[in-house]
Amino acid sequence: MAILLAAPMVAARAGEKDPFEGIEPPKPPPPEKPAGRKPKPWTDGLFGENFTLKREIMLQASHGDGELYSRHSLGLEVLKKWSTPTATVAAFNTQFRFVRRDNPIEVSNDHEGMGREGWYGEFHNFYLDLYNVFNPVMSDAAKGANIGRFNFRIGRFYLPMGLNLQTDTHGTVLQLSNERNFGFERDWYAGFWGSLNNYLNYDLYYLAGSGYYPKFRSQSGMLGARLSLANSFDTDYGLQGGLAVMAGERLDKMAVERSPSVAERADGHAVDTFRVGLDTRYRCNIPTGWLTFTFEGTGGRDERDAVLTQLYQAEYLHRSRKVGVAAQYRRFWQDIGRGPMMPGMERPGDVDSSIAFDITYYFRNDITQSNLHWIKLNVEQQLQRQMGDRNTIVTLQYYRYW
Amino acid sequence: MKRILLFLAVAAALLAVRRAEAAVGCTLSNPARDLKFLYPAMTTYREEARQLDTMSGGKAMFDALKQRLGSDLDPVYETYDTPYTLYTVYKGDEVIGIVHGVNVPGRGGVIQIFLATDPKTAEVRQLVFQRLESPAARALKAAEFRKQFEGLTLADFYKHDYYAVAEPASDKDRVGRLTNPVKGAPGEEDFTASLRGVRKNLILLDLFVYERRHEPFYQRAQEALAKLKAGIK
Repeated sequence: MAILLAAPMVAARAGEKDPFEGIEPPKPPPPEKPAGRKPKPWTDGLFGENFTLKREIMLQASHGDGELYSRHSLGLEVLKKWSTPTATVAAFNTQFRFVRRDNPIEVSNDHEGMGREGWYGEFHNFYLDLYNVFNPVMSDAAKGANIGRFNFRIGRFYLPMGLNLQTDTHGTVLQLSNERNFGFERDWYAGFWGSLNNYLNYDLYYLAGSGYYPKFRSQSGMLGARLSLANSFDTDYGLQGGLAVMAGERLDKMAVERSPSVAERADGHAVDTFRVGLDTRYRCNIPTGWLTFTFEGTGGRDERDAVLTQLYQAEYLHRSRKVGVAAQYRRFWQDIGRGPMMPGMERPGDVDSSIAFDITYYFRNDITQSNLHWIKLNVEQQLQRQMGDRNTIVTLQYYRYW
Repeated sequence: MKRILLFLAVAAALLAVRRAEAAVGCTLSNPARDLKFLYPAMTTYREEARQLDTMSGGKAMFDALKQRLGSDLDPVYETYDTPYTLYTVYKGDEVIGIVHGVNVPGRGGVIQIFLATDPKTAEVRQLVFQRLESPAARALKAAEFRKQFEGLTLADFYKHDYYAVAEPASDKDRVGRLTNPVKGAPGEEDFTASLRGVRKNLILLDLFVYERRHEPFYQRAQEALAKLKAGIK
């Protein structure tokens, strides 16, 4: 049909001159000389350029063990980047939530909130990144050769163990391993991160080991290091992965309470900790959407108790990005010490494990995760418990981030 | 009661607040390394966020994008509030490149198309698929295919609108002469989606960086097409 239409058009314009004759070739834009920029008010610099204010609403109700727990929050996230005339040099991120909790029970995405019944103002991320920190003392050639290699981070962010650094679990019900493994999934830390070479990234930090509040009681803190596949593996093959080590002392009240031998050896709540972790995530296309498989495993010890954790997750997202389902199995084994118990106390079991299913309808599911809006149903069946009875926890969640 | 009022006040503030420019658009997965690959001589780079719904005149730009693209925008990948990230690449104090990426829907999923452009001429220096979920991925990612885009400008795409109708065999139609490496093969639609993505990327660059310098070509193409149609009637 196009050919039939085109033929008379060609005939119609025979002999006409080219319609684009006479249009001047594109002129170069005014040269962007760094020195030529006018100084701007500081408010423009702070809020006008590379400043993002995101809003968040989360409404969640969970039922388990005959109890109905509710957790509703309003949140804010601030993202800000600073640049000199020729380079982006720093970024700041913070997340704050104003939360109302009633009747808290142990749900997978709110361990931290167990002791926060009622109103609570809480922060999540709070960190500053400084990019290419050695640039001021480098030649241009060295800057070019080391670009992206020496970035410095200070503040509160995800632990450098497992896939947490590469995964935004801020709003999801299904969580990764760290909160159960260490008692917190974020910590206060300082250290370096960047590209090691074309294939590997690194993270190397000193962590306070204190979890929510930056405090030093009797713990020495931890060193955390992670080597991970460069991001190009994710974009080219859908593959992420890493190998991590964390060692030192952390504050973890739950770790002390669940193991008599840890309680016997820990200095207050400061637990001597060692973990080695391996993680991987693979995303593949199928005709109707995407499948993603996740694995996190760690081994190590709390004081003298051997610890082994495993997490397996499979997810499906429909091509429309409107519907997603996921299943997760997690198992945390600890060789609970056989030391003497307090009279009348029951010895904890060695294993916490559960299986969870999750179905989500997305109103918005931006691929960059800059706009998210969903309603989610999650059912978690606890299979084995170290302490307490096994339960089935049903969670309904409404979430919007924009 | 005070807490409830505070909660409601926070809620009101959240709903009233206007988001400023975003910093999380279609970003390079590892900007430092990726930009170094595109511009080996670089020393530093700047990231700048752009988001039409927070820009002065953003609605007009969004309408202009839709019109100049010549097709509807996808409700998932191409919304009014989609964030974009611009990378300006420096060698010392000199700007040596502008890099920008977009997401477009393809047959097999998302296609992320980055263009490295010349800051003076606005010509494509290199086309890179960061993410390409397609049975045709191997052919489209091949250097021979991507090399065809080097030197193209947005003007070539606007001219193509006219030549494709008036002179389909014209040598001046540089876009029309691009070779489709997956003709008749699975994922052929992703060739068309990729062309659309390159065009969208160049339109956005024209709006964000190049001060709409290719607009005369668009206007002239539209006028010439209108004349043709009128001549036929």
